Amino acid sequence: MRAFHNTVLRFAACIAMMLLASFVPAAALAQEKTSALMTPELLEKVRRANNECFACHSEEGVKKPPRADLDITKLRPLAHDPKVFNGSNHGLMECTQCHGQGYTEFPHAADARESISACEECHAAKVLRIEKQLDASVHATRVKDKFTCSTCHDPHVDLIASTLIDPRKIVAQDNQHCLDCHDSELEFAKFAPDDEQTSTKKKRPDIDKIHEWLPNTRVHWQAVRCVECHTPATKTLSHEIVNKEKAERQCLTCHSASSSLTTRLYRHLAKEEQERLGFANSVILASSYVLGATRHPWLDRLIVGAFAAMLLGLLIHGLARIVARIVRRKKNHG
Amino acid sequence: MAEREYLISPWIRIWHWTNAALILVLGTTGISLHFADPNLPFVEFSLAVRVHNIAGVTLAAAYAFFVIANIVTGNWWQFVPKPPGIVPRLVAQARWYAFGIFRGDPHPHSPTKDEHFNVLQALTYWSVMYLLMPLIILSGLIYLYPQFAPDKMFGFDGLLPIAMLHYLSAAAVLLFMLSHIYLGTTGKTVGAMFKMMFTGWHEH
Repeated sequence: MRAFHNTVLRFAACIAMMLLASFVPAAALAQEKTSALMTPELLEKVRRANNECFACHSEEGVKKPPRADLDITKLRPLAHDPKVFNGSNHGLMECTQCHGQGYTEFPHAADARESISACEECHAAKVLRIEKQLDASVHATRVKDKFTCSTCHDPHVDLIASTLIDPRKIVAQDNQHCLDCHDSELEFAKFAPDDEQTSTKKKRPDIDKIHEWLPNTRVHWQAVRCVECHTPATKTLSHEIVNKEKAERQCLTCHSASSSLTTRLYRHLAKEEQERLGFANSVILASSYVLGATRHPWLDRLIVGAFAAMLLGLLIHGLARIVARIVRRKKNHG
Repeated sequence: MAEREYLISPWIRIWHWTNAALILVLGTTGISLHFADPNLPFVEFSLAVRVHNIAGVTLAAAYAFFVIANIVTGNWWQFVPKPPGIVPRLVAQARWYAFGIFRGDPHPHSPTKDEHFNVLQALTYWSVMYLLMPLIILSGLIYLYPQFAPDKMFGFDGLLPIAMLHYLSAAAVLLFMLSHIYLGTTGKTVGAMFKMMFTGWHEH
């Protein structure tokens, strides 16, 4: 009964925090989570409560443990950066809103881990939508048991695209989710499934090697997310991560006037498209020049017109030469 | 005056046709890349990128050879219009293309060992080779290594001015190429000047 009570309370707190967060200007969120509705007193209370946790669960806490009876080896991987957390999506929340009752005292309760809220307690609608996509993803079909939201999304760090705004920052954050495992032997081995043929653990493919076909590979990785190609095209970004067999290999999906980047990486900026200086997809152009996509339709027409005029001029000149020669010949013979 | 005169050295002819072939490849792949459209597949995009990059670097090498060979052999002097009467000769040449050619008037300039080009040719070729080509090659090399492009410019990605410069200079080179091929037919016969660029012999 008490557990049920806690869950209801927590759910109500989440709803309240989400309502609060929805009123907060995105730009302000990017730096430090503050809110017009979050009174300084309330914020002070949240920060004070969280500082009690950060006293141990931070780099500072690991370096100078406030208690002598702490197991530093266990604590080290559980350290967080308070500044990063305060600026993250969950930065207005108290730690205990997710880390439940078992964590309020130290030593934490033996079963404290079980009281950590699942993401769907707050993000029910999103999880419902994502779950189907995730089930079809290569991660779920190969290593489902080991995969949760937080395997990729760090709730203490991550920011949503509309808060980050700058596509380069979105790319850096989101690609790190993939690279954490796919560019690390150690992390990859933790999740690697058994190879069907050799029944040994699947070896991590060299990401540079398997992307060799992609021109300017590294430039792409700084400019677009892995999921731009490794998810199927849907209205909103899908969580169905697909492997190389199903991944997008058609360059023109992004490199054309109707670039899918406007509905993917740049979706949150699409409403700001103003065709600046007459460029198509100028919203992309602010951070990347994408050959084939960020063109200037009027300049293109002018250039095509110049070629047409040149060809027409040469054709007329050539025809006139032929006619003039025939006339001259006739005159000479006449 | 001799009927035939040997004018064009082998290195110029080899460079000329190498350059011509590379520009055709670069033009085809470049157009395909710039006007990339799923409904109008021309050259497959990633193939076009690779071919364009290789041909581009080769063009840059060919251009370096051209500049060095011009200095060493003294051929650069051919591109400098020589006084006296530069402007009247320029006008005479333009008038010949506009009127004289239809009347069957003789060509106002007859190439010699010391003066291959008429004034209009010298000025055009000089501009193309020493203004346009450095622009297109330099912008192309920065495009190939975008880390050397400015980070931001006028609130846009810094690659934009480089890409625009590359696009516009490429358009100018291709427009020149069209007129160059056409004017190549204005020799003694339609094919005479093309023949000269293969054999080196000019027919007067």
